[in-house]
Amino acid sequence: MAGVGFRMWAKALAKGRSSGLSALLSGCRAASGVSKGSLPGPYPKTPEERAAAAKKYNLTVQDYEPYPDNGEGFGDYPKLPDRSQQERDPWYQWDHPDLRRNWAEPMHWDFDMFIRNRVDTSPSPVPWSTMCKHLFGFIGFMLFMFYVGAKFPCYQPVAPKQYPYNDLYLERGGDPEKQPEEIKHYEI
Amino acid sequence: MADFSISKHGAMGAHLVRRYITERDTEPDPAKKYEFDPNFGFGERKEREMIATQEQMNLAQLPLEQRDYCAHYLLKLMKCKRDYWPNFLACKHERHDWDYCEHQDYVMRMKEYERERRLQLRKKRIEEKAEAA
Repeated sequence: MAGVGFRMWAKALAKGRSSGLSALLSGCRAASGVSKGSLPGPYPKTPEERAAAAKKYNLTVQDYEPYPDNGEGFGDYPKLPDRSQQERDPWYQWDHPDLRRNWAEPMHWDFDMFIRNRVDTSPSPVPWSTMCKHLFGFIGFMLFMFYVGAKFPCYQPVAPKQYPYNDLYLERGGDPEKQPEEIKHYEI
Repeated sequence: MADFSISKHGAMGAHLVRRYITERDTEPDPAKKYEFDPNFGFGERKEREMIATQEQMNLAQLPLEQRDYCAHYLLKLMKCKRDYWPNFLACKHERHDWDYCEHQDYVMRMKEYERERRLQLRKKRIEEKAEAA
């Protein structure tokens, strides 16, 4: 890990003071990553805490709405509207065009779900009830027609095909000992 | 009577209209066995002749649907095809013979259906006459 702890690690190894891993972990944090003040915190109770939390998440105080404090563990994370990234303007020049998000924009709690490859909340072109009616109406109609077709089948106006040797008695697995009933066919 | 009052122009499927709508009780049902004696209305009726033997058909390993009264033509066709392979255009005459036999068989089936239908109509006429009397 680059950064602050490298020298400490080197010193610890050289001195042989404690075992390697605990020396590495002691106070060694990379210079990259979030600073302490910008991590999520507990649920804001006072208006000052609310203002500070809104500033932290780059939201105005009016827009900032935390999740209800009912023990679910959201803390002061903002409750953003459940809209997928697919609903955002495709022509605007986003900083991250694939994610349709700008730098430092507050991320939804379920952001990874609302990416364009996954859950999409964009409105359907036709009302949902209309779509349901069309689909189930069509399927119901087809099933009804299949039933009618089974009840009243189509067939050619011909008699059944005639086969020799007593309707192929032996070929169809008939008992060779037993005498089958005589079936005669005539020309017409 | 229904036959004379409605138009008799039937295209393909007229038998279905008769069966399901107009003449539901007389049109022959393909699922049911034909009920009239085969010799009724005929003086002398010639039996159909089967030429290929069971042994021949077994040796040729014909599927059951092809073991009909035209099997001897089919056996000739199969032999011709085997003899003249790879010339797949060589057996036109044998194929035509088999096709013509199958065609005649189909026409016989159509005639049997029509015979059954007319006998049913006749039976109905007799019954109606008996009731009216």
